[in-house]
Order: sequence, then C-alpha cells, then structure tokens
Amino acid sequence: MKKLKINRYLLLLSVLITTFAINVIAQETPVEQKEIVKLHYFNSNNNLQYLLLESILKTGKKIEPQTNKVFMLFLDKNQPDNLIAKVLTDKNGKAKAIIPPQLKTLWDSSSQHTFILVAEATGKKEETSSEFTITKSKVSIDTSTADGIKNITVQVMKYENSQWIPVKDVEMKIGVERLGGILSAGDEQTYTTDSTGTATSEFKKDSLPGDQQGSFILIAKVEDNDELGNLIIEKRVPWGVAKKPDNNFFSQRTLWSTRFRTPIWLLFMAYSIVIGVWGTIIFLVFQIVKIKKLGVSN
Amino acid sequence: MENRIALSNEQITNDLLPQKFGKRGMIWTGILVVICLIGAYAYYRQLRYGLVVTHMRDYVSWGIYISNFVFFVAISLVGSLITAIFRLANVKWSTPLTRIAEIIAVSAIVFASLIIIVDMGRPERFMNLFIHGRIQSPIMWDVIVIGTYFFISCLLLYFPLLPDLKILIRFKEKSGKGLNKLYRFQGSFWKGTKEQFRLSDKSINILCIIIIPVAFCIHTVTSWLFATTYRPGWDSTNFGAYFISGAFLVGAGGVVVAMYIFRRVYHLEKYITEKHFEKMGRIVVLLALLYLYFNVNEYLIPAFKMKKPEEAHLTQLFTGEYAPLFWFAILVGMIIPIIILLFKKGRKPLPMFIAGVMVVIGAWFKRYLIVTPTLLHPFLPMQNVPESYHHYFPSWEEWAIAMGSLAGALLIITFFARIYPIIPIHETITEQHEEAENK
Repeated sequence: MKKLKINRYLLLLSVLITTFAINVIAQETPVEQKEIVKLHYFNSNNNLQYLLLESILKTGKKIEPQTNKVFMLFLDKNQPDNLIAKVLTDKNGKAKAIIPPQLKTLWDSSSQHTFILVAEATGKKEETSSEFTITKSKVSIDTSTADGIKNITVQVMKYENSQWIPVKDVEMKIGVERLGGILSAGDEQTYTTDSTGTATSEFKKDSLPGDQQGSFILIAKVEDNDELGNLIIEKRVPWGVAKKPDNNFFSQRTLWSTRFRTPIWLLFMAYSIVIGVWGTIIFLVFQIVKIKKLGVSN
Repeated sequence: MENRIALSNEQITNDLLPQKFGKRGMIWTGILVVICLIGAYAYYRQLRYGLVVTHMRDYVSWGIYISNFVFFVAISLVGSLITAIFRLANVKWSTPLTRIAEIIAVSAIVFASLIIIVDMGRPERFMNLFIHGRIQSPIMWDVIVIGTYFFISCLLLYFPLLPDLKILIRFKEKSGKGLNKLYRFQGSFWKGTKEQFRLSDKSINILCIIIIPVAFCIHTVTSWLFATTYRPGWDSTNFGAYFISGAFLVGAGGVVVAMYIFRRVYHLEKYITEKHFEKMGRIVVLLALLYLYFNVNEYLIPAFKMKKPEEAHLTQLFTGEYAPLFWFAILVGMIIPIIILLFKKGRKPLPMFIAGVMVVIGAWFKRYLIVTPTLLHPFLPMQNVPESYHHYFPSWEEWAIAMGSLAGALLIITFFARIYPIIPIHETITEQHEEAENK
C-alpha cells in the first residue's frame, strides 16, 4: 500500500515536470507576428469614392490594431503620378483616403481599376505591396406606392464596354437608417438583385418615428462585394411619424430643476415638516413664557 | 443607586453644585483655549489665502472638515438616545447622564454647523444658501434640520435646568455675583409651583417625542449627502440606517468617556455608580454589534460582487493605502470594545473609559474613511491633472482647524460643567424621595 502511494506521488511529480517542461518549451518558441491589411472601396451616393484601410497585427493568438503605420495608395500603377494618398493609421489601425480630383481623367478612362497598397519599409520590415481591383458601378434607389403599399426599388449597374449594364446577384440591405444601423424595410434581412439589376422591398415598418417633418432616410447598402466593393445609396422619404420636440422639458417641476420649479409634492412635504416641527418649537417657547408669567404673578 | 438613599438633600445639593476650576481644570481649559487659538489662526490663514492652504483639490473637495462634520453630527445624536428614548421608555437609571448627553449634543451640533462654514471657500456668501437655496438639494435639508435640532436640543437642556436654577440662585455666595446674575436672568421666575412643573413636564415630554424623528432626520439627511451621489462606497440604500447606528455608538462612547471624567474630577461616585457603567457598557456592546453588522453589509456585499468601478476603492480600503486606517477603525472602533465590554470585568469604570475612548477615536477615523477614499475613486479616470490631485492628506491648517473645533466642543462642555450642575440636582432629589417612598 505504501509502495503504491509512493508510486502515485512519483507519477504526479513526473506529470508536473512534463507540464512545466512543455510550458517552458512553448514559451521559448518565437511567436509569429503577422500583419493583416484590409482595403475596402466605398462609393457613397454615386458621388464620393473613397478607400478605407484597416491594418491589424496578429501576434500568436493576440490581435491588435497597428497604429501609426504609413501606407501609400496608388491607382492602377505604382508611380508618383497615380498616388491617391499617403496615409497614417489611427489608434484603431484605420486610415481613410478619398480619390482626389486630379485622378478624375484616369478614373473615367477605364471601367475597372486596381488599387495598389504599398506599406513603407520600417526597421527590419521591407516594403510590401498588394492590389485590389474593383469594377466601377452605381446604385439608384426609387420609391413607389400602389394600393397603399409602399415599395423600395434599388438598381445596381456596372460600367462595362463604355455603357452601364445591370448587375445580377448582388446582395444588399434595404432599410431605414437608424442610430444602431439599418432597420430592414421588409421581412428579409437582405435582398438580391435579379437579371435587371433590381431588388425590391415592400416597406412594412409603419408608424416609425421620423424627424420633425416625419421624414427618415431610406438606405440601400452593398457590403464587401468582390467585384463592386461597398455601395451606399440614401433617399429621404416622408414616411415616418413626425416627432414633436418636448419644449416642456425645462419648465417641468423636477428634482433637478431650479428652485422656482420644485415639485409640488416636495414643497408640500418639506413645508409640512418644517411648519409642524417649528410650530411645536414655537409652542414650547410659548410654554416658557407661560411658566415665566406664572412665576412673576406668584 | 441604592447607595444614594442615605444621602440628604443638602448633601446632594452640595455634591452636585458646580465647582470652580482647580489646578487641573485650569490647565485643561488652557490647553483647549490654546488649541482653539491655533485653529482660529489657521482659519484666518484660510480666509486670507483661500482654500488653497488646504490640501483639498478638484477631486477630494470634501476632506477632513466634512469628516469632522459627520463626526459631530453623529455624536450629537446621543442627546436623543439618552434623554429622549430612555425617558420615554421610563428608564430611571439614566437620570444622572441626561445632562451630560444633552450638553455633548449641543456642543457637537454647534461645531457641526461651524465646520460646514469653515469648509466654504467664501463664507461671506453663506446667506446665499438661504436666498438662492433649492429645497430639492439634500444640503438644504441638512441646513434646516441642523438648525432645528440645535433649537430642540437647547430647549431640552433648558427645561430640566429650570428647577436647578432655583437651587443655584439660592447659593449666591458659592457661585459668585456674575454667575448668580446669569442664573437669575435664566430662571428667577421659576418658583416650583405645581402648574409650572406641569407645564415643564409636558414640554419635556413633547421635546422627547419630537427630538427622536428630528435626530433620525439629521443623520439620515447627512448620510443622504453621500448616498444621493453616485459614487463607489456611497451608492447605498442602507446609508441612513448605517449612519444612525454608527452615530448612536459614537454618542454612547462619548457619554461613557464624559461620565468617567466627570465622575473622577467632581467625585461623583455616589451618583454615577458602577451600575451606570455596567448598563452603559451593555448598551455600547449592543450598538457596536449593530454598527458592525451594518459595516459587514456596507463592505462585504460590494466586495463579494467586486463591481469594476468599486474595485479600486474597496481594494485600497482592504489592502491598499487606506488599509491600516480601515482596519484600525474596525478593530479599535468596534471589535476590541465589543470584546472588552462583553465581559463583566470590562464593564467596570476604567475599562469602560478605555473602550469609550477607542469607540470615539475609531469613529472619527471611520468618518474620514467614509469621506476621502471615495472621492479619490471617481467613475471617470483622473487624467491630465497634477500629481497632488491623486492623493489627499490634510494640511497643517486643516488639522489645526479640525482639532480646534474638537477642542471648541470640549470647551463648551467644560464651561457648561463649570456654570451648571452636570447632574440634575432637583431630579436626583426627587427620584431619591420616590425611591424611598416606594420602599
């Protein structure tokens, strides 16, 4: 029995040593560091084209944004004339670049463009570059009402052979712009374009609060499409319920109001207590006067 | 109390009449006056140079002054405990302690009011509090309730004093011309008629009833000054009860200390007997256990949850910068007195006195711990501020003013004991007669 016990302890000790050794070996293995850069193209309302860059540094299992890293973005060719922008990543590892007006001629000359991303050489790291190609596209949004049913129609077109042609099978969100994101207009979360490049959604969100005029913004958004990038189109419609501003807020009687707007219940309570207690004190002082009078008359 | 039966009225009167300061009394008073003067000079410096002479800054804007204020408000509650609650409960043995409790209450509440003004950067604007005051603010409630409590405490001190004033006027040779004039001014109309006694007794009963809710209000409202603020350590629904239980404990501790000193200095062994210590000891144990219970609630439950914003505050109290002070306050202010007073031998005058001193000192530091560490842990991080804003230790001016206020409160008690009988003479005589008749 004693032998068995000793053996058990030996076994436990060997397991511990092995675990410790594995741990030490694991710690000694150099941790691989990987740089991940994502480039997104955005076309907002067909008139603002910009690029959003996201740089991440992956060290082992740890992921963190790569801050203050310089990148250069080129259009079609890696040469100074084609420079879109030289950007620096922020604290979230992100940087934004708008396609400048001087590249308009180049932009208009082709239906497809390649964005070249060049990371400057820093320390031991050499200069690296990567490419991302998109097809020029546009998106339109329209609304119609038939038999009291409101419909939203979104059409996606791409530029090919000097003409705009519909794009089939583009997935998108169609909805209303809200504070936390897009509230889907119909029952589906996403819609897909048909052969005419059109996706239609029936608007089913009645009684949605709008602005003071009862308007809100309808939005259609194509996200990270391999060919087209990110497309956003917006349209303001008077389909909401007008929100009346509460101008009465500051004139309310509340605990945080000025002294002229004290809640009635508080005034009632405070004055009742003060009058009650101080009334009693005055009564007691009057008793002293009474006692004094009794003493003087005696 | 049974050893009082043998005493004659004359002997009781002679024993309890106020006595002139002896050598020790003069030294004691002199020390207190000097401390008060140093405090006054420090306050002069604060008025001249502004609150910058203190070490209070943007974050710790309530320092030792407000800790002192809470301490004074707490100790003042004893007036309602010993006088009112015991009187309404028909507890006869507390008679020799009522005036001690009441004068502690009055002196404490006077300095609670003064220390609030000291904490103000511009005291000449004090009246603005009333002119532009908002009744929604707990600070306004505090001002009202402190004023009310002061008046009620003064009346509760004055009514039972009336029959004693008649006795004091009789002993003109002993008291001297000046004091006799004061006694006459205050009570020459008291003839001791049946009707006068009826009115006086009725008034005292009304006062005893009214002082209890007002006393509860005064300390509850003081606790609300903290609890209505969303901060780690103060965000509690239990604060009112927690403060009141602590107030009764420190008040009872204060009375124990005072009764021991008066007993020794004025040789009042026949009036403040060992039985009084025994009974007060039991009360202090009960109150200390009650306060300990509330402390467990206030610290253990948040520590169990350890919510992120409260973590830094609690860790600093339990194991950090404030840990020595925190455990000192818990051990010295509660646990050690409980251990001492749980034993019969511990409820003898000297151990009681030591336990009382421990309770009072522990309570003072406890108030400091309630106020300051919380202010050093705001929910939003302290950024881009000078290093001094991250810590707080009172400046010498703050210490001097705080100690001056404590000395001032003791000075009021000392002068009161010099001018008036610290044990009610008339009530003692009456009770002795009643006891004799009952036997």
